[in-house]
This record gives sequence, C-alpha cells and structure tokens, in this order.
Amino acid sequence: MSENEVKIMHEQDMQKVSSKQKTVKIIVQVMLYLFLGIMALVILFPFYWMLISSVKSLDEYNLTVPTLFPKKFVFYNYVEAFNAANLGRLFLNTMYVGIVSTLFSLVITVLSAFAFSRLEFKGKNTLFAILLATMMIPGELFTITNYQTVSRLGWLNTYTVLIVPFLVSVFYIYLLKQNFMQIPNELYLAAKVDGTTDLKYLWKVMIPLALPTIISITILKMMGAWNTYIWPRLVTTDDAYELITNGLRNSFTDVSGEVNYPVQMAAVTLVSTPLFLVFIFLRKYIMKGVSRSGIKG
Amino acid sequence: MQKTGKFKRIMCAIVATLSLGTAFGSMTACGGGGKQTFTDLVIPEGGYDGSAVTVTFYHTMGQSLTDVLNKYIPEFNKLYPNITIDHKQVGGYDDVRDQISKELTAGNQPNMSYCYPDHVALYNIAGAVCTLDDLIASDVTVTRADSTTEVLGLTDEQIADFIPGYYNEGKAFGDNKMYTLPLYKSTEVLYYDKTFFTANNLEVPETWDEMEALCAQIKTIDPTCIPLGYDSEANWFITMCEQLGSSYTSATGDHFLFDNETNRNFVAEYREWYQKGYVTTQEILGSYTSSLFTAQTGTRSYMSIGSSAGATKQCPTPNDKGEYPFEVGISTIPQVNPEAPKVISQGPSLCIFKKDNPQEVIASWLFTKYLTTTVEFQADLSMASGYVPVLQSVVDDTYYKAFLNKANGTSFIAALSAQTCMDQVEAYYVSPAFKGSSVARDEVGALMQRCFVESPELTGDAAATLIKNAFKDAVEECEYQA
Amino acid sequence: MSKVLNALRSAFVDGVWKTFCVKWIWQGFCVNLVYKKFDKWKGWLYLAPAIVLLLVFTLWPIVNTLRMAFLNGYSSLGELGGETFEFGIQNFQKVITYAKFTSALKNTLLLCVITVPISTILALLIAVCLNAIKPLQKLLQTIFFLPYVTNSIAIGMVFAAMFNIVGNNIGAEAELIKTAGIINNILGVFGVKPVNWINAGSSYTANMTVMVIYIVWNALPFKILILLGGLQSVNKQYYEAAKIDGTPRWRVFTKITVPLLSPMIAYVVITGFIGGFKEYSSIVGIFGDTMGPVGDPRRLNTMVGYIYDALSQDYQGRASAAALMLFAIIFVVTMINLYVSKKKTHY
Repeated sequence: MSENEVKIMHEQDMQKVSSKQKTVKIIVQVMLYLFLGIMALVILFPFYWMLISSVKSLDEYNLTVPTLFPKKFVFYNYVEAFNAANLGRLFLNTMYVGIVSTLFSLVITVLSAFAFSRLEFKGKNTLFAILLATMMIPGELFTITNYQTVSRLGWLNTYTVLIVPFLVSVFYIYLLKQNFMQIPNELYLAAKVDGTTDLKYLWKVMIPLALPTIISITILKMMGAWNTYIWPRLVTTDDAYELITNGLRNSFTDVSGEVNYPVQMAAVTLVSTPLFLVFIFLRKYIMKGVSRSGIKG
Repeated sequence: MQKTGKFKRIMCAIVATLSLGTAFGSMTACGGGGKQTFTDLVIPEGGYDGSAVTVTFYHTMGQSLTDVLNKYIPEFNKLYPNITIDHKQVGGYDDVRDQISKELTAGNQPNMSYCYPDHVALYNIAGAVCTLDDLIASDVTVTRADSTTEVLGLTDEQIADFIPGYYNEGKAFGDNKMYTLPLYKSTEVLYYDKTFFTANNLEVPETWDEMEALCAQIKTIDPTCIPLGYDSEANWFITMCEQLGSSYTSATGDHFLFDNETNRNFVAEYREWYQKGYVTTQEILGSYTSSLFTAQTGTRSYMSIGSSAGATKQCPTPNDKGEYPFEVGISTIPQVNPEAPKVISQGPSLCIFKKDNPQEVIASWLFTKYLTTTVEFQADLSMASGYVPVLQSVVDDTYYKAFLNKANGTSFIAALSAQTCMDQVEAYYVSPAFKGSSVARDEVGALMQRCFVESPELTGDAAATLIKNAFKDAVEECEYQA
Repeated sequence: MSKVLNALRSAFVDGVWKTFCVKWIWQGFCVNLVYKKFDKWKGWLYLAPAIVLLLVFTLWPIVNTLRMAFLNGYSSLGELGGETFEFGIQNFQKVITYAKFTSALKNTLLLCVITVPISTILALLIAVCLNAIKPLQKLLQTIFFLPYVTNSIAIGMVFAAMFNIVGNNIGAEAELIKTAGIINNILGVFGVKPVNWINAGSSYTANMTVMVIYIVWNALPFKILILLGGLQSVNKQYYEAAKIDGTPRWRVFTKITVPLLSPMIAYVVITGFIGGFKEYSSIVGIFGDTMGPVGDPRRLNTMVGYIYDALSQDYQGRASAAALMLFAIIFVVTMINLYVSKKKTHY
C-alpha cells in the first residue's frame, strides 16, 4: 500500500464517520426539539386555558365537560372585568406605588451595598450576618406585627403604608454588594486620595459600573409591586389606595354572590398582560436579575 | 475558615435575638394585660347630639344589594345629614371576619358590620362588640334634621314586628345579652321538579322516611339519576341534630357534644343513601347541586335542598321561545316530626363595635335601627335578592305584596321561595354561638363528606367503626382548635 | 467612562502614597483624629435608613414572634380582652403533639424531597438541550420562563380544572364521572382508566402526584434560567477537548457538565429547599382553602398552611411557635446543604 492509498482510505473513513456523525447529530437535534417542544406545550397549556376561559360565557365555563375551545366568544368579559374592578384606577395606583417605592428602595439599597462593600466600620460583618439570617425566616409572621405597627403610626389607607415597609430588601443589598465587590478597590482608594467624596465616587463610578444589576433590581421591584397581594389587601380598605391584584378578588361576583370565573380569568389576563409585555421587552435584564437574586418578584 | 466565621456569627445573632425576645416576652407577661381595651358605651344624655361623624360599615353585598343600600343612604341622611355612611364590600363573610379581627388588634375596627354569630363570639374575646340592651331600652328622644323626633331605643311595636326567631338570634351567646340585630335571612328549602312529580304521580316528601322511599321510587323511573342533591353537608348534620333533639354543641361548659349514638346512626343511614346513589352533596359533586337539578342532559336530580336565597339558580334556563323545560316546586325540607318542623336560619345580622367616641356608636345604632326597621328598605332588599325580610309587616307593603303575588315556579321563583320561607317562620332554629362554633360547623360538614366517600367497600361493623373514628377525630379537631 | 477609570488608575499608580503622606502631614494630627472618628461611623450613617426600617419592620416582628411563642396560649384578641398569659413552652407542646401538625410536617418534607430532585434534574436536562440548539433558542427560553411571571393561585385554579372530575365516583350503579378533565381524557387515549386525582375519595398518592406536577411546573423556570446561565458561561474548551477525545455524550454530561455546573446546582437545590419548606399557595391553588380533597380537609396541609390556620383561629402563640420551628428546620437544612455542597462542589 502506498502512502497515498493509505491517505485516501483514511479520508474515506473520515467521511464515513462524519456522515454517520451527521445522522446521529440530526437525530439528536430532532429529539432535542421534540423534547423541548413537548415541555414547552406543557408549560404553555395552562396559559392557553386561562385565555380561553376568559372568553367563555359563565354557562359554558360551568359545563361539567369543559370545552377545549370556546363555542362562543364573550369578549364582554373583559369590559366587565375592567369596569367591575375599577382596573384603571388600580393601575394608576400600582404604577405610582411601584415607581416611588422603586426609587426610594434603590437609594437605600445602593447606600447599604456601598457601605458593606467599601467602608470599614465596627460590627460590619456581624450586621451583614444578621441581615442574611433574616432572609431565612418565614415572612408570614411579620404581617400581624407590622399591621399593628403601621396602624399605630396612622398609616392605614395611605400610599406610605404600601411603600415604606418593603423598601429594604436584604436580597437586593446582597446582590448589589456582590456586584460592587467586583469593582477593584484600588479605584476607590485612588478616588479618595484625589479628594473625591464617597457619594461622588458612588455616583460617578460605582453606579455606572453596576448599572445592569441596578436595572434588574428596578424591574424586579416593579414586578413586585405588581404582584403583592396580602399586604395591600390588609392595609387598604379605600379604593383610592388599592393595588391591582386586590381588584382580582373582590369584584367578580354575580347577583347571588357566586364568583364569575370567566370574568375573573379575564381580569387575571388583563393584569398579567403588562407583566408579559415588560417581560418580553426587558427579558435580558429580568433574567439576569432573577438568576442573581433568586427570588420571585 | 471565613465561612465558619460567618456561621458562628449567624448563630450568635440568632441566639442573641432569641434571648432578647424571650426576655422581652417574659417582661410583658408579668407587666402587661389585665385590662379591657375597648370602652363600654355610656349613652350620653340627649342621645345623638348632631355632631358630624363617619360610620364605617363592612358588608358582603353584591352589586344588586349595594344598589338598594345606596338608594336608602340619602333617605337616612335626610334625617341625619351629619352622619356620613362609609360602606365597603369586604369580600365574603370569612373575609369580613378576618379583616375585622386583624383591625381589632390595632383598634381601628369599623363602626358596624355584617356578622354571623360565631364572628361575634370571636370579637367578644376582645370585648369589642357593643351590647344593644341599653340602646334598645333607651327612651331618650332624638331630634332629626326635619325636626321630627324618634325614640333612641326600639318601641314595643318595633320589637314585636321582628320575626321572633330572627330577633332572638342576637341573644344566642350564652350570657343572655343582645349583641346583634337581624338584617335579612334565608333558610333551606326543598326544590323539586314539579313537572316530573306530577307526571309520575309522586308526592312531595314530608319526612325523611318518605324521602328514602321516594328516592327508591325515582331510581326505578330513572336509574341513572341521583334523586336528591343536598348543598350543605354541615347544615344537614346540624338540622338533623335539631330535628332529632340530639346534642350538637353548647355555648357553655363542654362545647362539642355531637359524638353520640343518635348522630352516628343518622350518618350511617345517609352513608347508605349515598352509596345507593340516592343523594349527593355540593362538595362531593364539585359544584352546587343545582347544576344537577337544572341539568337537561346526562345525569340529573329531581330534588335539591339548598338556600332559599339561591332560588334563581334552581330554575332551569328557558329555551329561545322563553319556555321552561320544567316547573320548579318549593317546599319545606323533610322533617323527623312534621308537627314540629325545624329549619336552619341563615343570613347576616348587624353588630356595632365599641368606640371611644360615644357619638359614633349612637350614630351606628341609628343607622342599624334604620336598616332593620324600615319596611320599604327590607322589601326592596328582599325583592332584589330573594332573601327573606326580618319584619312581619313587610308582607303588608303594597309593592312586596305585588311581588309575592307573581310567585311561580319559573320566572318568579324568587318570590315563590320567599313566600315558602315566610310560611315556615315558626320552624327557624339557630345553633349556639361561641368561639369555635364555626370550627364545629366545618368539622361536621367534613365528617359527613368523609363518612360518605371513605372506603365504600366497608359495610356493617366495619362501616360503624369508620364512622366512630370519624366522629372521634372531628371532636378532637374541634377541641384542639377551640 | 473608561477615561475616568484610566485617570483614576494612573492617579493611583503615579503617587498615591506621596499624596497621601503630604495630605496627612498637612492636615495635622487633630484633623485626622476627627476624620478617623467620623470614618468609623460613616458606614453606619450610610446604613442608617436600611437599619431603621429593618428594626421596625423586621427585627421588631421577630421579637414579637418570640414573645407570642413563649406566652402560653397567647391570643391577641384575648390580650385585648384583658386576658393574661403565662410564660412557658405550652405552645410548642400543643403544636408538636397535634397529629395534623405532624402530618403537615410530613407533607412538607415529602414535597421537598420529591420535587427538588425532579425539578432540578428536569431543569438541567432542558437547560442542556436549550444550550445545544441554535434556532428558536430565544423563543423557547422565553416560553420556559413564563410561569415565573404568573400568580400561582390563578394558575393553580387552571391546574385544578385540568385534573378535575365532576361527580360521584362510587360503585357501578351510581357511577357518574361526568368529565374526566383534560388529563384523564389524554390518558384515556392511551387506554388508561380515568384516575380520581383531586376529588372526593381520591387517594393520597394521586393528590401528591398532582401537587408534585404543579410544583415542578412552577419551579422549573427559575432553575432552567440559573442552569442555562451557568452553562453559557462554561468555558467551551472543555467540550472541545472532550470532542477530540471522542468521549460519549453521556460521559461528557456527567464528567464535565455536572461538575462544572455544581455551584449553580447547589444554589438551585438550596433555594429549592428553602422555597419548598414554605410551600403553601400552590396547594391553595389546587385544593382551595381546605388544603385537601373533599372528605379529608387538611390532608395536604403544610407548615405554612398550619401557621395560617393558627393565625386565623386567633392562636398567634401557636402560629409563632410553629414559625420558629419552621425557621429552625430551614436553618438546619440550609446548613447541611451548604456543608454538603462545600464538600461536593467543584470550582
């Protein structure tokens, strides 16, 4: 066998292998897509159910054998949901509370994260340990005591009560602290020598560098305002201060006090839509934020 | 190394917090408590002095009832322009209870509210509900804005006008004091398919024995049907206790007395009914039993025992020409002894909360009195909902009379239901109210469900053991929770 | 931006120490003392708003919880009514000896132990698959993240409708399964008899199956996200090396992917356990407030569910005691997890 022949045979072998590899690769890809497709359907089905339920008539919804596709579309459910729950007003309230609380919360979070990541002071580590420990406590029991506190402060039925108690999030502080830590300390020392004040340094250097994290926090906080339920229900009895999720429960009863589920589903859809839109447009930041913080918005 | 340090610090922090809390806890335990937070009402001389007060009022009214309320508040304000009524629908009855019990801890409870007896028992642990005896008995004269006057209390005629069973519910708290006034009521009635009954020559059952025979008979006519639907398992249990004269609960002493031979026997009997396919309940069916009753295809039922206020739900939907598939008849539920019938009394009452400012309490009382004793309001409320008014004289109201006269088993079924209810006013009973009475109610309901559905293969002694255990568990649960 | 950085950096390199010394001498000893003292407290100044709020809305509730937990039979309405309570551990005794609390504990543990591994493995599979495809990747990624932005109670109602059957499910004559929900209909296509998932007379196993499916559904997006993020930051060189070696896919997965992802896996497992111990609203979503099928309420109750029950029955003392126990459990489990992951994680 000449050297040339060996080479040719080798190439043929390689081609064989590669065509075999190709088939395997295609099969693998098909299986991948099949698996992902099925999982995606499983994930999506409940949303589909929510959508079709929201356009069913109450009678059709109550059918003992549910229909997979509405026989008749009742878009009026949406009108009813919007009017019955006064969603317009609740929407504005939620926006207001969301924006104001996000602003204040960012200031507090940035200052705290800065202190923990850059400043040296007595008791810093102990304090941080305590903060981390509080994250493990089930929050359910805070509600009762906090309710008493805010009502003694006379805050019931104000925007304050919806904003102030939740301004500090240990999670966000932790998140931002980790991010700040990645910025080299030399920068800070140099700035200090230059006579740059801490606040100026924070504003000019740290914040721009940690901007993606800060944006993520902003979005998560806004989503939080959109989704909180138990607390606003407890502390607001006046429509003027109710938030959007509260509108979901109260108002969808028919004459005999039975819940009108299609209208409720329509309301859920209405309330979720802005969230979905925000999610789709700002997906990158939300995902980044969630993967760093690990909390449900 | 660094991590171990962190763990240690976390541990230290937790230990420190724990000991701090414990120390604080023991301090308050010795120092705090011991005095009532809510001040009792002392009726001021001259009653209401005309000062501007806001009365907050929590209810569960749906849209149609709220409309009625909104129509009458201006009427009330013509008499008392300085009393602002701030009313709010706070979800369902449980939501009202939960909201108020939280608000009580901070002292900002509403002035008045919809209530069920067990809610009042709960609020009374904090001593927060105003007793009405002094107010009812008060002969202070109050001047209204239109310069007419009224007595602050209730006149004898007003008291006599209340349906006695309803009025006495306000006293069912074991201390013989009056805490609530009834607003509107409903009871359970038997709905039956009149068309089907006439066609097959069936008699409406008056006793449970007749009911059993009838179910067997209907089963021979339509083997796939479930002849009877009973919406509320808890009501069934409690009503049976009442009809049989057996113990259920007591407001004083040992609370939970329902674990006895008589009760176990009737549960065993109805378990058999269920297994023979005679009966189903709302929870077991998964929807109101009216859905079976009004169904026109598939499995259906020919009788349904449910709230008199849900009459419109028990009426089948007419076809395009406005024809109803069948006519509904309404009757009293079966009895153990038809001579002394017993039917449960449901529906909200009004209670008034103690407040530091006596004027607020007086204003709340004036509004409560207005709602419960105004004939036109009671009539409108009943016509809007099918609930039963609490005043006897409402039936003399012209509009209400006209409403009742239209009563039929199809398009004016609410009127028919209201009429049936009013015909049995003597039969109403209430069960004792105390902290935990709602737990007992929930538990006996769950007990019925459990005995119906658990281990259908068991019969005879094995079934009896199952039922015995279910009763024992239910009592234990009640005692733990109350 | 980089200009500023460069300037700062050069300032540092050029003569930090010189400048610093000059300043130090120039400022003098006294000034420096004041400045230093301030420096010591500056951190606290920055933290002041956070600390004040945490003291009022986090620390005080914790202290109050402890107080309520150690007052025998504490009820806040009772306290308002003038009742006094003795210091003691009766609340803890009451909670521990209550059979339904132990069953709640069992449910919670069981759900954790079952759902955390399943959701983690499934999420890992999906993440690896997502990472291996090019077209549609972004779209699928978005779809898999959707459950994260939904209300678990609302979607729970949807799940309940899917598993629902309506009607009595007893002996042949009265048998009345009017609908077998969508799930039973699908199973029927494969010849499986309808299962009573969540209705009256359903079995504990069936109930748990539904809960596991729902909880896994709910937990997937977060886990996929974290793991996919991890995968995308893994150095491609490892895979190239494996490819040249001709290592089979499965071995690549177990020997390269999993070890490299181990910090992320540890993270999702720990957060999964913490979340799992707080499971509550998903069960309300499926079974409603009774937390169990008809005829057996509270069968699927969890620790948090027990706490809410005790609160609504005005037993804040018992609720506090249970919350403290829950905290203790979460604490211990987290510590164990951290310990194990420290030993097993490959960085």
